[in-house]
Amino acid sequence: MSQNPASSATGLSRRSFMTGTVSAAAAAPLLTSAAKAEVPAATHSKLREAVAVSLRINKRPYELSLDTRTSLLDALRDHAGLTGTKKGCDHGQCGACTVLVDGKRVLSCLSFAVMNQGKEVTTVEGLASSEGKLHPMQQAFIDHDAFQCGYCTPGQIMSAIGCVNEGHAHSEDDIREYMSGNICRCAAYPNIVAAIVQARDQARGA
Amino acid sequence: MDAATPKPRENMGEPLPRIDARLKVTGQAGYPADLPAANITYGALATSDIAKGRVTRLHLDDARAVPGLLDIVTYGDMDKVEKPKFGNSGATSIGPLHDRTIFHDGQIIALAVAETFEAAEEAAQLIRAEYEEEKPTASFDSPGTKTVPAAGKSTILKEDVRAGDFDAAYAAAPVKIDARYSTPTQHHNPIELFSTTALWQGDQLIVHEPSQNVTGWKVELARQLKIDPANVRIVSPFIGGAFGSKGPMTPRTAIVAVAAKRLGRPVRCVTSRMQAFGTQTYRAETRHRIRIGAGKDGRITAFAHEGWEVTSRPDAYVVAGTSATGRMYDYGSVLTHVSLVRADRNTPGYMRSPPETPYVYALENAMDEMAVALGMDPVEFRRINEPKVEPIGKKPFSSRSLIQCYEQAADAFGWAKRDRKVGAMREGDWLIGMGCATAIYPTAAAPCAARVRLTSDGDVRVQCGSHEIGTGVRTVAGQMASERLGVPIGKVNVEMGDNNLPPAPVSGGSISTASVCSAVLKACDAIRAKLYAGATAEGGPLAGSHNEELDFADGKIVAKGGASAKIEDVFKIMQLGAIEEYAEFAPKGATPGALKKLYAGQPEFHGGDQDEDSVKYAFGAEFVEVRINSYTREIRVPRIVGAFAAGRIMNTRTARSQLMGGMIWGIGQALHEATEVDRRYARYVNRDLQDYLVPVNADIQDLQVILVPEIDHAVNPAGVKGLGELGNVGTAAAVASAVYHATGKRIRDLPIRIDQLIA
Repeated sequence: MSQNPASSATGLSRRSFMTGTVSAAAAAPLLTSAAKAEVPAATHSKLREAVAVSLRINKRPYELSLDTRTSLLDALRDHAGLTGTKKGCDHGQCGACTVLVDGKRVLSCLSFAVMNQGKEVTTVEGLASSEGKLHPMQQAFIDHDAFQCGYCTPGQIMSAIGCVNEGHAHSEDDIREYMSGNICRCAAYPNIVAAIVQARDQARGA
Repeated sequence: MDAATPKPRENMGEPLPRIDARLKVTGQAGYPADLPAANITYGALATSDIAKGRVTRLHLDDARAVPGLLDIVTYGDMDKVEKPKFGNSGATSIGPLHDRTIFHDGQIIALAVAETFEAAEEAAQLIRAEYEEEKPTASFDSPGTKTVPAAGKSTILKEDVRAGDFDAAYAAAPVKIDARYSTPTQHHNPIELFSTTALWQGDQLIVHEPSQNVTGWKVELARQLKIDPANVRIVSPFIGGAFGSKGPMTPRTAIVAVAAKRLGRPVRCVTSRMQAFGTQTYRAETRHRIRIGAGKDGRITAFAHEGWEVTSRPDAYVVAGTSATGRMYDYGSVLTHVSLVRADRNTPGYMRSPPETPYVYALENAMDEMAVALGMDPVEFRRINEPKVEPIGKKPFSSRSLIQCYEQAADAFGWAKRDRKVGAMREGDWLIGMGCATAIYPTAAAPCAARVRLTSDGDVRVQCGSHEIGTGVRTVAGQMASERLGVPIGKVNVEMGDNNLPPAPVSGGSISTASVCSAVLKACDAIRAKLYAGATAEGGPLAGSHNEELDFADGKIVAKGGASAKIEDVFKIMQLGAIEEYAEFAPKGATPGALKKLYAGQPEFHGGDQDEDSVKYAFGAEFVEVRINSYTREIRVPRIVGAFAAGRIMNTRTARSQLMGGMIWGIGQALHEATEVDRRYARYVNRDLQDYLVPVNADIQDLQVILVPEIDHAVNPAGVKGLGELGNVGTAAAVASAVYHATGKRIRDLPIRIDQLIA
């Protein structure tokens, strides 16, 4: 029911990592291969040490000092001050934390911040133009009342942009299927589909 | 106009976009856990592994050794504050750290506070407890439950409703059914996680927490902490979905406040999705027995509804939807009885349409069974039993447009094309079924205050301590001011979600739009009266006009004869820069102390079945098509149509969205949602959004909402009936009747899953 097409880069569960049930030896290669960061063969105590992480978010550089266990989501919210991206489950099951990494949708709760060095991260704060003109997807969400409480909305919008870019918005059925990793508990689904159709058609016409 | 923005019919407001829409699509809307707090620390909860017994020993050394760990709040640390109270503002009387007794699985045993979220989580997971464990009682049929009558245990149900002689009428009825139904435990699962951020500024405590009841929480939190309520401020400007879960305050709030006080730094505790299942409230599982007797003409002569509901050991949370089901149709006689079944569980609470969702599901499924037993069309069966007055107190309905709802929905759905024979409709491998059911929700209002300011430039500010949980109340409050003061909506700013604002009642029971709009209306009318006085005074631009000939439009006061005066000019004449009015609204029937109680966080509800003159309900009719794969028994809902009448519709866009969301909740009730309880350990099993199924986008296809015009001046000055909880009442029964129509299988236990349809 809640399958998630916007899966994490590695499929690694941050939680099982954090609780130490994954051995350090098994964890280290995943970290180094994914991030190419200079993280030494990790011991449990080493994992707690802060490391310098360089991120590019919304085309701006950020130099952060982070616990290596910090998710991209928590880095955005608690360290970069970008709280537009939301935490809904921290388990990759709801889609509220969806951001674009190098243009592809990623669940930021399932991605360590250190794995994203050198990549371009786009959040909901990075969509409108510097003059404040909304991205067509943002405007379409307003036009079609594609939200109620608004909490899942940043994730829905980022996922919707990803969905169109991936070429998965050909039909309403396609959109429903490829947007099913983003749960809207207020259940604005028909309006979300209508909004994506509008923004898709606008992008095609442009 | 597209589907999201229905053209207003009679007595309906414009489908204006939400006034906070831009904030919500740009990530700028500040939900409580987003709000900044300098020098913040992070809290993480440790919870019990058992459901019943005592904590004999806690091992904290490993947790304390975590670098960055600052404090652990646990047994003994809450001794100087009062235990929580169970009631409208309090979720439970269980003070988890006041006592080493464990009442339920997942009960808080400690709060770890650290410099980082990661360190707090690590420390909390390293806290180990030793227990003196007892065998817990999980639910219905478990050894050790205690069953007691619900009536009198709570203000929700003073007495079981009844009318006439059910036993005699049922015995004499030529056509009758006697059937049992059940609904499972469910958790609200708003997508926003539950969180508390506590900041002390000297004696002042500021709490950022998603809340449907900032005034009630202020008073209850102050009581627990033994401080002056004036020193407590609950801030909740945006709420990421609530559905009842953020109505009562849980014990976590005081624990985090104590931690922040001890540390002298702000503490933010975001509860994990998994921990929320045991530390928040939930919808109690219910069981029902319904007996209906009728004549061969289809007229019901006897109706009995018995209900059983699970609650915790210490708290009597009562669901009791019999007040509505007992008044739904023109029954000749009514018998109801509700029982509470106590088990070793956390205390349940309000969840969207708390009494009606389970009870009306049982009634409407039974109505469909009865129509089948009578060989009658289910719509016709309801039409035959449409009452002139409600059967319990013989009071009229202030308005009741149920038949209009059935007619308009049936027409849009194409009900006439339904072949009544079971299993007769089919397309390829798919069996097609069609069903319908009634939606009902009581219309109530509560005292509410609001402050409105109009400046000479035409800027309006509305302040009201209500809560924007996604209903659109911020928008419709602004719309009311915009309409009454003749200014465009873009000139209106609305502040909500802070108990420093004029108090509003808890945002529950679908009372917000009626209560808030009535207060805003009153404040606006006071501003209008002042400006009328200025405009019509001797020498004024509208001198000689009477107030009743005047109205506000487009920044002007307009007289019937055509004369007008710009509002800014009237301000000039009056030598004023702004007019500000504070209004207090009390619904009809309010007690003399009702407003005082509002400020004390104890709003009185009026309406529903409580009033002397009439009963007040909103109604709707829902039609569902299901398709069931003949091989796999996969169930799909390709089409759903709902028609609803709810008095004045303030904004057709937000109203439709509320009803649409409700109908999808109803589909979830029917096919998806259930919290599974491990009966051995009285433990919730599927504590996440992967295994607790809720509807996703691909589950919903063609959905149509019809807003049926209705005028009702009796309900409240705004003429508004609530509809936030109307849409998901009855839906599950409509699905169940459609499943029966397709397969001949009558499913009485929710949710309806594939395994129940495999013979």
